[in-house]
This record gives sequence, C-alpha cells and structure tokens, in this order.
Amino acid sequence: MVKLTIDGKEVQADEGKSLLEVCTDNGIFIPSLCFLKEMTNPPASCRLCFVEVEGLPKPVPSCRQSPAEGMVVRTDTELVRRLQRSALQLLLSAHHVDCRNCHANKRCALQNIAKFLGVGLKPKRLEPLAMEFPQEREHPNFIYDPYKCVLCGRCIFVCRKRTGYGVLTFARRGIDTVVSWFGADGPDSPPCDRCGECVNACPVGALKSKETVQAPMEAAGA
Amino acid sequence: MKAGPSNSDAIKERFETLKRDALQRFGEIKGAEVPRITIGMATCGIAAGAVETKAAFEKAIAQHNIDARVEATGCIGHCYAEPLVVIENPGFPPICYNNVTPGKARALVSSFLVDGDPLFEYVLGALEENDMIPSVRDFPRFSMEERIVTALSGRIDPEKIENYIAEGGYEALAKALALTPQEIVQEVQISGLRGRGGAGFATGRKWEFGLKAQGESKTVICNADEGDPGAYMDRTILESNPHQLLEGMAICAYAVGAEKGIVYVRAEYPLAVKMIRIAIEQAEAKGVLGSGILGTDFSFSVSVFQGSGAFVCGEETALIQSIEGKRGMPQHRPPFPALQGLWGLPTIINNVKTLSTIPAIIKKGGEWHKQMGSPKSPGSAIFSVVGKVVHPGLVEIPTGTTLRTLVFDICGGTPHRKAFKAVQIGGPSGGCLPEAFLDTPVDFDSLIEAGAMMGSGGMVVMDENSCMVDVARYFLDFTQKESCGKCTFCRIGTRQLLNILERITKGEGREGDIELLTTLCEEIKEGSLCGLGKTAPNPVLTSLKYFRDEYEAHIKEKRCPAGMCRALTAFYIDLDRCARGCDACVGSCPVEAIFTTRDRKKAIDQTKCVKCGECVAACPPQYTAVKRVSPPHLAPRIERPQEPQE
Amino acid sequence: MDAARPNENDDNVTPLKVLAATLAPFDVKRENLIPILQTIQEKEGYLSPEAMKMVAKHLGVTASEVYGVASFYNQFRFHPPGKHQIKVCLGTACHVVGGEIILENFERKLGIKHGETTPDREFSVDRVACVGCCALAPVAIVDETTHGHMAPSKVEGILLGFQIEKERKEREKEQRESGSQQ
Repeated sequence: MVKLTIDGKEVQADEGKSLLEVCTDNGIFIPSLCFLKEMTNPPASCRLCFVEVEGLPKPVPSCRQSPAEGMVVRTDTELVRRLQRSALQLLLSAHHVDCRNCHANKRCALQNIAKFLGVGLKPKRLEPLAMEFPQEREHPNFIYDPYKCVLCGRCIFVCRKRTGYGVLTFARRGIDTVVSWFGADGPDSPPCDRCGECVNACPVGALKSKETVQAPMEAAGA
Repeated sequence: MKAGPSNSDAIKERFETLKRDALQRFGEIKGAEVPRITIGMATCGIAAGAVETKAAFEKAIAQHNIDARVEATGCIGHCYAEPLVVIENPGFPPICYNNVTPGKARALVSSFLVDGDPLFEYVLGALEENDMIPSVRDFPRFSMEERIVTALSGRIDPEKIENYIAEGGYEALAKALALTPQEIVQEVQISGLRGRGGAGFATGRKWEFGLKAQGESKTVICNADEGDPGAYMDRTILESNPHQLLEGMAICAYAVGAEKGIVYVRAEYPLAVKMIRIAIEQAEAKGVLGSGILGTDFSFSVSVFQGSGAFVCGEETALIQSIEGKRGMPQHRPPFPALQGLWGLPTIINNVKTLSTIPAIIKKGGEWHKQMGSPKSPGSAIFSVVGKVVHPGLVEIPTGTTLRTLVFDICGGTPHRKAFKAVQIGGPSGGCLPEAFLDTPVDFDSLIEAGAMMGSGGMVVMDENSCMVDVARYFLDFTQKESCGKCTFCRIGTRQLLNILERITKGEGREGDIELLTTLCEEIKEGSLCGLGKTAPNPVLTSLKYFRDEYEAHIKEKRCPAGMCRALTAFYIDLDRCARGCDACVGSCPVEAIFTTRDRKKAIDQTKCVKCGECVAACPPQYTAVKRVSPPHLAPRIERPQEPQE
Repeated sequence: MDAARPNENDDNVTPLKVLAATLAPFDVKRENLIPILQTIQEKEGYLSPEAMKMVAKHLGVTASEVYGVASFYNQFRFHPPGKHQIKVCLGTACHVVGGEIILENFERKLGIKHGETTPDREFSVDRVACVGCCALAPVAIVDETTHGHMAPSKVEGILLGFQIEKERKEREKEQRESGSQQ
C-alpha cells in the first residue's frame, strides 16, 4: 500500500491498481471509455482519463499510471479538462447522436461524460463527420452500429477473455476502423457461445442484443 | 559469450585472411588493363532507364568486339543525373557521365572505348583530379558533401561482399569483437550519435539500456520502414551498401548481448529486400554473421521482415506488433522496447542510418564523430532533397550546415528562375520553413525550435507555385489515411483537420477556421497516444505560423496566391496572344475543353476544364497565351460558337 | 463492395489444394501470419475469403483475426487486381508537381476510381505513397515499369500502348486460328 494525494486529499492505494481505479475507489469520477479493471495492459486509446501528476511534464492517462508513494495527483486542472472536452467532442463528431431513438439512452457513457464535463451532445465547434460504413450489421446474436461505435475495444477484450480466441476483432484502419467478426459463419470457425458479454461491455449503444437469440446462424456480416 | 581481449589476435588473423582474399579479387579487377563501365542500378537509376543503358553498353561492346567490363553499382545519390555511368578507360581518369541514354551509351563505346575520344559534351566530371578533364570536385554538389554513411554508395558493387571488405568493411566488427560490450557502448556514447530515425534519442543511452536489460534473449531490429513520402535514403543505403548496415547491426548486437537481428523493410522496396538478403547470405558464408563470428563464440543471425504498408509501423511499438503478426497499433510507453519489446523481451530498435554510422565510429573513434558537425547533434545528416530544385538527390552533409547552403549551394536552388518559397523538412511530422529560416543550421534542436523536425530527412523544396495550404492539406490527408485508428485524437482529430483544410482549399473556408485549426492542432499534439498523432499537426501549425496570409487569402478572398488550388483557379487563353490557326493546345487537352472561336483562335470551356495545365505546357513559347488566374471569376468568359446543326 | 465484407461468392477462387501447398512450409506460429498473407497475395494477386479462412485454420486463430490484420495494411487487397496494375505515386515530391492530375487522368481514361478494377479486369488503379523516385516526379508504376516525369499525354500513350498490344495479340490469335482451319 502507498500513500498519495489526489486533489488535495490523502488516500491509501494498492500499487497494483491503476490510478484510474484508485480515483474511482475514492469517489473521484474520471471520464473513461476503454478501460476495464481486468485489463493488464489497458489500451489507453479513448484519451479521456487524463490526470496531472506532479513532476510529469504533461497530463497522463490515469489507466496506465501506477500510484506511488508521495505522488501528488490532480484530476481537475484546466489542461486536463480541456483535453477531455476536446476528446469527447471529437468522439461525438464521429458518433450518430440520436439519443431519443437509441436503446442506450440514459445509460450511455457519452451522455454521462458530456454531462460531467458540461459539453453539449452536438458540439458546435466541430462538424459531424460524414462517414461511410457498411449498413447496420447483424451478427446472429447482436446488431452492430458502426456509426455509434466509439472503438473502445471493450467488446473485443471481453470476448477474447471469455473464449480465449476472439470472435470479435478490429478490422480496417484509421477512421474506417470497425468491429468485425469475419468468417464467424465458417464451418471451421470456433463458435460464438452467445454469452452476450460483448453487448453488456459496450459503453454506448453500438451493440444491441437480438431478441431472438435462438435464430439460426446466418451469414455473418451479410 | 564474450570475446575478451585474450583472443583478439585470433580475431585479427581471421579478419586479415578475409581481407587479403578480398583485396586480391578486387585488386585483380582494378589492375586489369580493361575498360570498366559502372552503372548505377538502384531503384532510381532503373526507373530512369539504367537497364536499357546497360543493355546498350553490352550490345555495343559485343558489336565492336572489344574487351570491357560492364558492372552494376548502387546509387551515388545524384538522382538528377540518372542514369549515371562511370567509365574507367586505361590512360584516362575515371570519368562520370550523366543522363546516359542508350544512344549516348553506343556513342561512348564507339568514340571513347574504340577511338579514345571521351566525348566532352556528355561528361559530368572526372572522379580524380587531372589535367585533362574537369573534376567533379569543382562542382559544389560533390565538393560540399561529407560522406560517412554514403561514402561507398555507388562506388562498390552491393552484391559482392569482397568489394566491401576490400574497401575496409567489417574491420570495425573485428575491432569491436576485441573490446568489451561496455567499451563499445561507451565509445558510442562519446560519439554523441543521436538516432537518425527522427526523434534524435541518444544512441549510446539506448544501447546502455539494452545492455543492462534483463531477459532470456535480446533482439536488435533495424527499422527500415521508411514511410515518409519524399524520403528514400534508407532504401538507397540498403540497395547500395547493405553490408555496412549488417556490420553496424552486428556491433550493436555484440554490445547489447543480442543473438537475433531483424531488418524490417518496407514491402514497397523489393530491390532493397533482395540486396539485404544477398548480403546476409554472403556475410554468413564469410563468417562475419551467423554462429561463431570471426572465430569467437559470439553468434548473431539476421532475418528480414517485410512490412506491409503502414506508415505507423515506423513507430517502434507498432513495428513490434507487426512483427508479432498483429495489427500495427502503437502501444502505450513505458514500458519501452529496450526493456520489454518483441515477445516482451529486450529489443533495441535503431534506424538504418544510425546503424550504418556505427562502423565508422568504431573504426575512427567516438571523438572523431563528436568533432564533426554541430556540438549537440554531431555527425552527418542525410537528406533527400527533392521538389523544385535543380539538382535533386541524396546529400550527406555535416550537421549544422545551413539550409541555404544545402538548398542553394549544393542543390542549385529553384529552377526556371522561380522564387523560393519554403522548404518542407521532416515529412508528415515536420514543417514548412520560409526564406527567413534559411540560415537555420540543420540539427535536431535547431529544426525543432523552428517548428520543423529532422524526421527521416525528407526535404521538399517549394517555389512560388506551391500553395502552403494545399501542402498542409496534403500531409494531413496522408496522416489521416495512415492513422491506425486506435486513439481518439489521431483517428478523429486528423480527419477533422483535414476536413477544414479541404474546405479552405475549395474556397469554402469560414471566419474562425484559422483559430479552430490552431486549437485542434494543439489538442491533438497534447492528447495523442503515439508519435504519429503527436506530430501530425506540425505541417498545419508551421504553415499557419509562417504563411498565415495564404490561409487568409483562401478564406477571405477565395483566392489561392500560388495558383495551385484547382477550385480557386481558372485557365484562360489570352486572345491577344493566341495565334490564329494554331491548335497546339487542342490535342493536349485530356477532356476536349478547348474550342475554336469565331476568329479561329482558341478558348477554354470552363465547365469542362479540369485544370491540369497541359495546355500551358503545349502552348508554343513564342505565344505563351494560356494564363492561370485566381480567383477563377477573373478569367474572361468566352462563349463556344454554336455548332452547325447537321 | 465494401472491404469489410470480402466477396464470398467470387468465382475466381484458387483451388484449395494449391493454397494448402502454399501454407505447408510455414510453421504454426502467429508471427508467420503476415509473411503467409504476403506469399498468398504474391501468388494469387489478392486475398480471397477462403484463403483467409484457410490461413486461420493453419495458424489456429479465428478468421476474424486474420481479416483484422490483413485489413490493417495497405498492401493487402481483397479483390482480384486487373491484368495490368497501375500505381500512381502521391509522395510529396510527386504531389507538388501534380501527381493527382496524373491519377485523375488514369481514372478518367479507364472510367474507374483508384482502388478499383475495370469491369474487363484489364486494369486496376491504385495510389501509393512514395516509391522513392522523387527526382523523377511525377511517377507512375505500370506493372513492373516505373515511368518518370509523367504527363497527361503520357497516360494516354501508356494505355494506347496496351490497347495496340492487345489488338495485335488478338489479330495474331485470329490468324493462327484461321490458319489452323485451313
């Protein structure tokens, strides 16, 4: 156990945990999308969980920072908030904002974080991006909406953790990146055990469970 | 595992045997009284027609039935002069000929080799001082360079290890094996060498981390995933002198205690892949690579991994992912690869130029290297100077040389008496520097201070016809396409930047765009996960800083000052200058936009014109009737006469 | 056709036996994934869904993993390329001297966009980021040949050259056929 100061408050923490968890454990909300506490190497890809640590020149993602004895952490500086707002606005500009018709309405992490940071869901500063993905895509067990996906990778992580092989992966690159399950219909492909963990792991409304879980396996992605 | 000083005599002896062998083979060739024709056959030479030239030489020699040797070499770096040929005719100094077409090749064989007339009109210069032919040393493009890494490029046959050894190759390795790893690391630290891949991290420190790192095995990786669109020195080094790189890798491996090496090469460089593979095979056969190098118990084997086209794989953590067979996505650092790299084991990753500098440092000493160039980034820097410049190609100069010397004195400045506007340094991570910065010395710190970056060493010279907003848009288009898509700032941020820049170059810029670009750029720089994202805004930030007036002209006046942005320009034909009856431009137009006016002159149908500029080139110089204007409404409108109905 | 959904019903599928022979020399190691994909593409010209599924089986990973990796890299294509592959360099040096105009000319003449293949599968056009012949800019690579100092008129010349070659071959073929009938 180590002692450190977060936002002026002295706290005790387990060195094995990430700073993000330590903050959360102590009731300090840190915006984040891609982190799950089971991860040994969090991807640090959503770029929301920044904090400032005394002695480090720049804000760091708290999910990849271990607490240390005597560390002084601030979660509410101007620079931290600026980066968080900017990252959130960028995510929203690439997100199909249609909360009223979204099944994740009111339990969506984006709504939550936007409220916390005081950011509107349709930021004026950035134009919504016109992106082209394949249409809403159906897996036998869920429906994936790439226009809502924030590419946090949680669904991929939980799938791989549970099955050991990963039905889901990222495919393509850059702004065109999507979650894919190519070949999931193949006779040789290891089956999806329909656990539904991927849907539960989605922080937004990009994955939706199909009501008819017993539906026959159809051509995935078709 | 360590070859202590005790067996240094044995190492020396082994190496001397190798060298005697090599010298004998190459001494025979050099001493022979037979003319020798050497042709630069690296990628750029071949693209310029070196294969055809070589065939022409061979055919002509056969036809004249003379005894002469035709050999291939790598690239000498003088791309403007390709195909480049050196002829060593007994009784003459070695003479360098530029732009040797098959026709010139035939003429050279019959006039020079047969009749003894060196054809002065084709000569670039002699490679040695003499009183017959002016030497290339009189030419600043040759005399102002100081070559370490490229010293042998274009002078040896890259496919023959004996040639490299005869020129002093692998001597440094033999010397290194008699030292302790600590001594080598120290020598590299003394040299002050900084990683030539872009960021300029001290090589000696990296090696020290590697030496101290614990792990069951260690790997040395040569990063030859040169992705900067406009830089090709790594390719040239691999194609022209692969053994020098292997020697550097072996020294590095011995110093840090690695047994395995990987050369990570771009798949777009097939010739480089071939050359490095040949070199590995030969080096293993000679015992300077593989198991028990030069009779010691130090073993080091090298393999080649071909990248698959992802710029981001130049980033070391992404490169490792890619070797492991995964998507090349950068990882959060720390841990740094020197401690936890490939398969979680210590991995030392160095750039081609860095590793290729090592043999010279070991041979001549760290102090020698430290004395060269500017004190904080000692040594030499290799740039590929391209774009609007008279003598493009690869240039190796001591660091600290000013940009002015490089662009104007060495490379001849901008052609066609156009005004110099800027020089883009460091590719997608770098920036554009204007004329006011021409006296900036080229070294890591001065360039970063000016807002650019040494990067991989790509340098593109721009003249008055280059639009800085368009150049920024071009680079963002590149980084946006090459972003791996992992982190928010790079994935979405670069796309947002690109959209704004595209709008501006199309004349749809708005009030506030410049401010939005600036803040977004700052946030992307701060927030991105890896170096690609952190440096992606640089081309925008520097052009905003130094060429803000161009952005304003695009946004407020819908005008492109350079006349490059096609949506903001128009071509028209000045009827006062157009010659009646001439139709040189008509055939050049790819879209049939040019029509004949009532008085048999020509005019451009603006609705069809794609603004390719072919008609400008086609219009005979005595008329120069085609004009380009911005904004486009300045072009006079001329109606197409009604076609007679059939 | 979207790249995320490779064509499942391609009639040009290589016999699976040939593929199996290609895979055999590679050890079952994850790090062989990219070299395997490169070898297949070199032989087949592209990665078919069947090929990717076989690679997955060979390496003991999911097909999804294989596609995830393949779709990350520019080098891999998921549709058969044209008989003649045209690559237009859009490196910095080529860009400042109008590389995009060259690309547009190829696209216009062939009636396709970059990344596409003509319906007769004769030509495909791609954009590449720097082939390292910057001093010859703008550059286009047609099959194995690098063409420097490109201009729209040269685009026409190159395509015309192929056209003439094709017609010549067809004529020869006709002559041979009519000759054999006699």
